[in-house]
Amino acid sequence: MTVYETDVPGVGRKFEYELDGDDRLVVLIHHDGKREVFRRRSAEADSEKLFELSDRQAREFGTLLEGAYFQPVDLDRIQVPLGDEIIQWHDLPPDSSLVGQSLSDCGIRQQTGTSILAVQRDGETVANPNPDFEFEAGDVVVALGTRAEHQTLADLVAD
Amino acid sequence: MAEILVELGVAFLALGLAGALAARVDQSVIPAYILAGVVVGPNAPRSVGPVDLTLVSQSQILGVGAELGVIFLLFFLGLEFSPERLLARPTRLLGVGATDFVVNFGVGLGVAALFGFPWLTGLFLASIVYISSSAVVTKALVERGWVADPESDVILGTLVFEDLLIAVILSILTAVALGGGGAMAVLSSVGTAAAFLLALAAVAAYGTPYVERMLSVDADELFLLFAVGTTTLVAGEALVLGVSEAVAAFFVGIAFGQTDHEHRLEAVVGPTRDLFAAIFFFSIGLTTDVTAFLDVSVLLAVAVVATAVSKVASGVAGGLFYGLSRRRSLRVGVGLVPRGEFSLVVASLATTAGASMARTDELATFTVGYVLVMSVLGTVAMRYADEATAFVGGK
Repeated sequence: MTVYETDVPGVGRKFEYELDGDDRLVVLIHHDGKREVFRRRSAEADSEKLFELSDRQAREFGTLLEGAYFQPVDLDRIQVPLGDEIIQWHDLPPDSSLVGQSLSDCGIRQQTGTSILAVQRDGETVANPNPDFEFEAGDVVVALGTRAEHQTLADLVAD
Repeated sequence: MAEILVELGVAFLALGLAGALAARVDQSVIPAYILAGVVVGPNAPRSVGPVDLTLVSQSQILGVGAELGVIFLLFFLGLEFSPERLLARPTRLLGVGATDFVVNFGVGLGVAALFGFPWLTGLFLASIVYISSSAVVTKALVERGWVADPESDVILGTLVFEDLLIAVILSILTAVALGGGGAMAVLSSVGTAAAFLLALAAVAAYGTPYVERMLSVDADELFLLFAVGTTTLVAGEALVLGVSEAVAAFFVGIAFGQTDHEHRLEAVVGPTRDLFAAIFFFSIGLTTDVTAFLDVSVLLAVAVVATAVSKVASGVAGGLFYGLSRRRSLRVGVGLVPRGEFSLVVASLATTAGASMARTDELATFTVGYVLVMSVLGTVAMRYADEATAFVGGK
């Protein structure tokens, strides 16, 4: 994160937050607490004022931005707790030792303690796969187990 | 007592009304406050039809208020003085500031010579036309949104440079003017000024912990009293010793600005500054006879044209030197055109210090007219600068 801070005598302080390349958000904090937010899309462009907030509004709005009320999560990787056990998703890298092996060959439950609930392949979900189901590169394994068991599975998958 | 109270009431109400009108038309309050003083003061206009307009006389209390206005304007200038801005890119800003000074102070000296002012009065005149108005410029920067763009760095940097330089110039000029006649008197008064200001500068540099402790009080009213008391006392002592009270207040401001109390000072002492600065502008209006503008009209016209052009030129040169595009550089030039409070402060020092100086009345009248024109012209020019820069063409 790059932030440039400068003093604006008699007004307050100015912060420039680098978004992407030359694109910048400019926040002017007045001595009376007023915030003005500008955006300058490139070094040559003129800043356009986006909005203006009072001190109180800015603090409240700031907690929204910070994620204090709602923290978005990666929906494909959500962890679903079931008692001590959780459901986790594991990607199968192309060089994984599991690729080409069938479910019964691997003995995942014996080795890791996790149960395979489903395998996602090309956007389709194979629920409760048969013992002769063979893994392919790019599969996503949906498994149930404790955190420690998941760690063992993750190590096995990446092996 | 009753009479003074009524006059003060009229004065504050007139200021309030004038300020509200100025805000309505997006102008700085400074010219509005001066005009309020002109309208209700003892000079023309004296009446509108049957309504008498000589409502407020130049009383002693207004005079003291105006003096406090000068002190607190300079105190805040010191408080907001940011060395970090000068030190961020020292060589470039030094170049920009030096160009600004040489061109505009030089043009001021030229105008003074053209109209046959004696050298000391001429130096005051050059200072008056040199210094841009921090108040008017900063307000316009925020309103136009330029504050978010790189040109504001150059404009604000130039203002900081000007502030420092004007403090030096003022302390020298006041000392010379108060010293009066002979070379020895001038030398000793310059020496006193230098010693006093050096002592203040030393306090500003090394006394931060003590100032910090003095200001560490919980109650805002005690905080206000300590800050106002210290500033006024130091400024008063300075004047007793024949040193510019305004420059002394500037140094007190710098000393206070080094502490952690800067924000609290802005918040708590700010209203005091606003009140007395308004009285300062008002009382300038009171003493101004607008009919006397006619006597200085040629000087006024020449100075306005010459110094507006020179400010734009030096600003453009400064912007280009700083590495800005042509469009942004033009804005730097236009943005520095407004003159205001500090020109008036210089003129008031010329009047109080320069009993021995020639043509100070003419200088005072000129300055009021000049500030009225330049503050409005500058703000309007900034409003149309975007169209003007479009005409100059993209980059």
